[in-house]
Amino acid sequence: MSQGRKGKVNYRCPVCFEREWDMDMLWDKERDEYYCYRCAYVGTEKDILARYQQFKTRYRDRLKRFEMSYFD
Amino acid sequence: MGKFVLNVIHRPELLPEYIDRSAQAGQHEEVVGESLDIFRLQQEMAHRHGLKTTIQMTYASLFNRECIGIAKEHHEKFGDEISLTFLGIQCKEFREKYQTKELAIWLFSLEDKKRITDDLFALFFKAFGFHPTSTGCYYMDAEHVRYIKERFPMVKIAVATCFEEGPRVFHNCNNSWYTLLDGGPWTAWVPSKENIHCIARDASDDIGIVAIPHLSRDLLASVDSPGLWFGTHPQNILRGMVYEGDQMPYQLNMIDQYRAMGAQNRGLGYNMVFVGPGWMGKGGRWEASHALCVKVYEDMLSYYGGLKKSGELVDETMSEFADTFRAHQKGYDEPLVGLWKDILFGSGQQVMWYADPFFRVLVDLKQGGAIIDLRPYVAQLNRPVGVGTKQMQNACYPYLVQSHYRAGIFTHYAGEGAIKSCKVRYGKEEVELANCRTHGKVVDEGNARTLVLDPVTVEFSGLTVGIQTTIRFPQGTGEIWFTRKLVSASLPQARVEVDDYITSCHGTNEYSEDLTGVTLSLTGADGKVESLDYAYRCREAAVESVREAAAVVPQVQSRLSLRPEGTAAGYYREGYMFAPNLTLGLKKTIGLNEELTSCLKVAKAK
Repeated sequence: MSQGRKGKVNYRCPVCFEREWDMDMLWDKERDEYYCYRCAYVGTEKDILARYQQFKTRYRDRLKRFEMSYFD
Repeated sequence: MGKFVLNVIHRPELLPEYIDRSAQAGQHEEVVGESLDIFRLQQEMAHRHGLKTTIQMTYASLFNRECIGIAKEHHEKFGDEISLTFLGIQCKEFREKYQTKELAIWLFSLEDKKRITDDLFALFFKAFGFHPTSTGCYYMDAEHVRYIKERFPMVKIAVATCFEEGPRVFHNCNNSWYTLLDGGPWTAWVPSKENIHCIARDASDDIGIVAIPHLSRDLLASVDSPGLWFGTHPQNILRGMVYEGDQMPYQLNMIDQYRAMGAQNRGLGYNMVFVGPGWMGKGGRWEASHALCVKVYEDMLSYYGGLKKSGELVDETMSEFADTFRAHQKGYDEPLVGLWKDILFGSGQQVMWYADPFFRVLVDLKQGGAIIDLRPYVAQLNRPVGVGTKQMQNACYPYLVQSHYRAGIFTHYAGEGAIKSCKVRYGKEEVELANCRTHGKVVDEGNARTLVLDPVTVEFSGLTVGIQTTIRFPQGTGEIWFTRKLVSASLPQARVEVDDYITSCHGTNEYSEDLTGVTLSLTGADGKVESLDYAYRCREAAVESVREAAAVVPQVQSRLSLRPEGTAAGYYREGYMFAPNLTLGLKKTIGLNEELTSCLKVAKAK
């Protein structure tokens, strides 16, 4: 298997991120896939982005702009 | 709304920690050039939006003529303050002089802290011809700040801690970095000479500076998640992935909530923004591109600038803010209050933070007004950190209650975790008030701040009651008064038993510490005292009419006590190895429109 290296984007492992760890990943050029330094996660860029999007669902108000009256 | 003050602090780290490894690998010139360009860009953005900044010169930047020139020019032209930081000390000159790669000032020995302080201040004086009046780092222990004040008495403000690496700090840092700093205030304070986290009790204890935390954080999200995902620094928010595309309304909501908090603090709200260049490099930061990093910072400064234009914000330098804060605080015991409402998870949850020279307290309204974090500032625990100290890297201030480290209300098998809460009983049934979500507001009574909670409905078989809790903090007493009042009942003659209790332990992280040496005592209304020395033997004692239930925890030099207003029963429980806490409690049977009022007092153990 080829040497792991940094991918074109510095994606963090989505599984470790769920556990509140910022773990960088390595990219396998031959397989065009990313894998984690720490856990057993391996996935494509598409899978990583889908998992990020799933993670963000915990922030239900991430796109909401509150009025000042909300804080009264 | 009062006055809302903003500090924008830029530090020209010429070798930012994030890309310093590239510099070590021989790309020194490129990194310095890029960093300087980013610093220029950040300054230009702030000025374009009408905001003055505090420029915190780093060790490396004091060897860079161009950077010194920019600082002088911006001081003249925009009124920026030229300041000095202990961040960013690592550079070629520093390594050659000190022969170390250590990068955190708080982790050096005190002797080295003094050497580096003298060196840094001398370099600054050489560059500018005067000494700075502000400084800072992610953490500065009291010993270091006292030395700075002794040598350079003109210093009046410092970035002294980081709120809130939070209870997740050990987990999140994962020994990959060592900013273990949990336990301080979330906004400006005057620190004690004994411990930088603690608020000075009086003029004799005043360390001589105003301290500000590194960034203003989301006071709810930081409770159970890394604070470094949720601060007034876009990099935080990018790190926490709280955005979609290039939209980040969350950072504006956070600013607005801090604006609103002025009303809770007698008219003074505060935000600080503290950024270096590293996160805005050409390579982007994590998944975010350089363009996105620039865009979200621009958005943030643009919002602040707009507030300034409309007269809703005052931009000050750090030293100006030190004067503002000193003038605003009418006494050392004037508390800091932060009632925070969820702006992120869609839960409607509120938490209230309170801090004064006696304690820092976190009340969770989702848990019926339970205290889930209690730090005994009154003990003023002297805990220097760094090489040669007992604490080493652990700069956290110990807790007496920490529900997230130490289980809180929910445990799987036995006993309770650490919490201050209340149980209500009717017949054979028992309801824990921490299971009853509520909301509330803070009332400023002049000599006390009171959190008034909305009544909660408690359902038993055949009886439904409404219970209202108020939590009162009389200023300068170290006391917290809880009132549990029966405000409604489906059976008007019904009586319920109210059991107000605290389950406590000590520590700085999630591991249990030895409670051997703790003393529990019960003083009856007749003056008779019963006590035990903690030995994990599950012993307990109770009296029908109690004057006080108390615990002395010598490990953190603290004394906790509960006493009723009027008559109530009291008890203590020792705990055991599978439930390693101590419990103090008061019980009273009440009917409609009756109440149990009790006082939790935190004092320094004699």
